[in-house]
Amino acid sequence: MTTKASTRRTFLKNGALLAVPLAAAGPVAVAADDSLQARLAKLEDEAAIRSVHHDWLRRINSGEPEIAPLLVNSAGPGLAQAVRGVAPDHAGEPDLIELAGDGQSAFGRFHCLVQIETMLAKDSTLAQMAHAQGAGFVSRTERRILYVRYAKTGGAWVIAHAELALS
Amino acid sequence: MPGTPYPKEQMHRIAYTKLTKDEISKKLQPAAANGPTSASPLSGVFVGKSLRIFTDNGPSLSYTFHGNNRLSLTENSGSSVHAGYGALALDNIVFFSHMIPGTVRGYAVVVDRRTNLATVFDLWFCGYKDNREVQREIYYGYVEDPGQEPPKERHVPTNRVEGKGFYWKQDNGIETLEFYPSAAYSNFVELSRLGGELGFCGPSDYIKIDENHYIYTRTECEFSGTFTSYVMDLNRIEQVGVRLGFNAQDALEYYVFLGKGEWLGQLAQFEKFGDESGNPLPAAAPGQKAEKGARRVYRPFETMAKMTPAQVNAACAKHTSAFAPRGISPGANAPATSMAGNLGPNSGWLAGKSLTLRYDTAPAMEYRFDDAETLHWRKEGRSDWVKARYQAYESMPGVFLFGHLLEGKPNHDGHMVVVDFDEALVTCFNGFLNTPYFANEAGVNIHFGVIEMEGLIPPKYRRHVLTDEMVGRAVSQNYAPGLTSMHLYTTPYSLSWIIFTPSDAGGLEWSGPAGYVKIRNGLYFIYWLEEACNGTLGTILVNLHTMRDVGIGYNCGENGLNMNAMGAHERLAGQFDVRRFYQVKAQGGVVL
Repeated sequence: MTTKASTRRTFLKNGALLAVPLAAAGPVAVAADDSLQARLAKLEDEAAIRSVHHDWLRRINSGEPEIAPLLVNSAGPGLAQAVRGVAPDHAGEPDLIELAGDGQSAFGRFHCLVQIETMLAKDSTLAQMAHAQGAGFVSRTERRILYVRYAKTGGAWVIAHAELALS
Repeated sequence: MPGTPYPKEQMHRIAYTKLTKDEISKKLQPAAANGPTSASPLSGVFVGKSLRIFTDNGPSLSYTFHGNNRLSLTENSGSSVHAGYGALALDNIVFFSHMIPGTVRGYAVVVDRRTNLATVFDLWFCGYKDNREVQREIYYGYVEDPGQEPPKERHVPTNRVEGKGFYWKQDNGIETLEFYPSAAYSNFVELSRLGGELGFCGPSDYIKIDENHYIYTRTECEFSGTFTSYVMDLNRIEQVGVRLGFNAQDALEYYVFLGKGEWLGQLAQFEKFGDESGNPLPAAAPGQKAEKGARRVYRPFETMAKMTPAQVNAACAKHTSAFAPRGISPGANAPATSMAGNLGPNSGWLAGKSLTLRYDTAPAMEYRFDDAETLHWRKEGRSDWVKARYQAYESMPGVFLFGHLLEGKPNHDGHMVVVDFDEALVTCFNGFLNTPYFANEAGVNIHFGVIEMEGLIPPKYRRHVLTDEMVGRAVSQNYAPGLTSMHLYTTPYSLSWIIFTPSDAGGLEWSGPAGYVKIRNGLYFIYWLEEACNGTLGTILVNLHTMRDVGIGYNCGENGLNMNAMGAHERLAGQFDVRRFYQVKAQGGVVL
């Protein structure tokens, strides 16, 4: 996997997000030649990966605490930064999902717009009041590249590793 | 001997009695039976009538008014209760209030007879750990008009009052200045009750009846817990409302009032054009459901460290820091504190210079500035030089703000000094600890004087002077992305600060004693004390030409003593015409 200017990452619990390809859900109904079968399996794996990926993004964007925050690098004293949203960057390159040859792992690359919140340190009365009124953060949107590694575990795809890189 | 208008203790220093529910209940019962008092004749507009008020997500209230101070009420489908009440009217808008006998509850109700819309304030004591703090829940609804469709409109929370300020005089003679620089808080100066020295703040509601009429509430949280609400007519500057609470002597104040006032000005609002929404602060934490009466309340007294002199000495011995270097951790170019984001570089102009600051009412201070961040000081006549870390900032050509701690002083003094080399004048805000209420609260002495230095001939009589030129002004300060506040210079002796929300509405607000020194035209040296708050002494040098300030904060807490620089980009937000209220007239008292 290629990473550049890599930032801090999150590790997702195995099994927290998974999707099962259709082909693994039951016996193949009709006979087909090997290439067609392989192509079908590949398409179904890609669909399952997209499903688990989209579910993961949906949960990040909806602020589910067990998914978010996805931490990126800090840039100041006591400034914890957290990803609060990930959206497709339609000005970036197309999404890419590559299956490994053995069909047990995959790699994804997604150009995206990331909403990042930086928490203000509570080192002054003003900052403490900003937190007290439910704010105390700075929100900004940045272009990033999301690199994701997927693994097939027990017949289901899971996200094994994800990181955001500067685009 | 004539009396003074000043209280023995200001509101933030009063140890209000923790009243029990039983004590409150007993004090309320006469008022529940007889209704609120009123200096003006009560309105009989509803006498002999019955009203049925339906509210959204709240109670239905069926009233029958038997006289101008007797009513019966049925809440929802409950049994009828009789109570005293008081009603006053502003044309078609009627404000009435009553308590419910045998309870610590009551209502304040606003009815617009023109539209039949109603806003109901459900009021109760004993809903917070401090029983005396009045709680409120607001319900919006309408008065049933039999045979007619219920109106679809409602009174609505709004920010349309934000930025306004009024002088009010109630029919009982109570005079106040009331400022609404926030959409969630307000600021009030008690001219007649407390002599108008300080302004105080409380959580507030702002509700739109129509373009000319608005409902306001204020609860004096962290103080007496008293609730005040009124309808105001912004054109005629008239009010009708209620005050409910226990004063410093624990006596019940429950009265309805009429008032007349004066428009004092309008501050800028910073929300996007078109945003007229109210209630900018979420009542509950994210993901949690707001309980009845929930609101965001800043409770600095509850959360501040309250330290003894011994604890202060121990904390200072453990950690004392002046101008912690930037980029300690984790960012190499990060500001030392969140308030230093727009600080800019410190000046090295003083490096290599020696001078004496000769104060009129304090010992002269001799200085040797070794470099841009190190100096040696000694009091005149002493042989021992003391090394200290300092920083200096040039606000206007020839005018510098610098600060340093005075190591070894028993009260852990810090000097925040403005030196004007074009005039050879100096003003020092001398911060110190071990103050009477809490030892970690900073106090301040102001020293005026001159600079003695080779090549400078100081004036003999001229000095920087205390001024009221900033009083009434509001100046916003952006310290860093996401950290914007606004100072409202409310009285010659206090200021308040307002924190903006992410949508740039005014949010939480608090206040403290303050002082203002004029350095030059357009250049003011200001301090404030966060008393019964974090104990900080904040100082800023406000440059109205560049709309930029630099400042130095001096704070002691459980983590020790810290002196830090801060800097902000400012915007002038307007000015209230209030200086005339603080003049001392020949016969004493407060004048218009």
